[in-house]
Amino acid sequence: MDIQAIQERINQRYPFLLIDRVLEVEPFVRSVAYKNVTINEAFFAGHFPDNPVMPGVLIIESMSQAGAMMYPKAKNGYIAGIDKVKFLGLVRPGDQLVTEAVNIQKAGAFAKVQVTARVDGKDVARAQITYYMEFEEEKE
Amino acid sequence: MATTLEHQVKECIINRLGLDVTAEEVEDDAPLFGEGLGLDSIDALELVIAIGKQFEVSIGDDDMGIFQSVNRICEFIRIARPEL
Repeated sequence: MDIQAIQERINQRYPFLLIDRVLEVEPFVRSVAYKNVTINEAFFAGHFPDNPVMPGVLIIESMSQAGAMMYPKAKNGYIAGIDKVKFLGLVRPGDQLVTEAVNIQKAGAFAKVQVTARVDGKDVARAQITYYMEFEEEKE
Repeated sequence: MATTLEHQVKECIINRLGLDVTAEEVEDDAPLFGEGLGLDSIDALELVIAIGKQFEVSIGDDDMGIFQSVNRICEFIRIARPEL
């Protein structure tokens, strides 16, 4: 799934679209997507000067967008909860941040996923993310 | 002493959500959400996971009404798993 297809699935846009390509999607089961991290990212100017490190909150957002790919296109999607977050390594310019997401449970408007982000095959972050999704109301 | 299904369900809810109450303090027919135990809609998803796993039942979107009370949850489990 390329960047055009990604933009058809989620509403995030520049500067907050934090995945570049989707490698695998098994609907309601699993998705894998990645972000190419470059020195041109605006946040590196301040996080930190002379020591560029991708902020953990943005790693969470990238993982969240990667996980959202396994669910149908929602009118709006939001993060409702984040549990068991661990940051295990630094993400720097030049890294490819690959997120694997696995569905834990979907119930009504909520869905929970287990996400793992890796760089060069090494885990850099893990979390469980709960989404709240709004779908178009069916017209009569 | 054998623990009742109701007691097991209460323990399951309390443990999963880290509630600061004991199973004895939870009434079988008290509402779990809002004024009762004060659970929210995200907690409901956690209960789908926890109840589903512990009692080996599958709770679909149409079954979400069972989380109104411990009695309703037990009723659902007894229908799905009559042997319990």
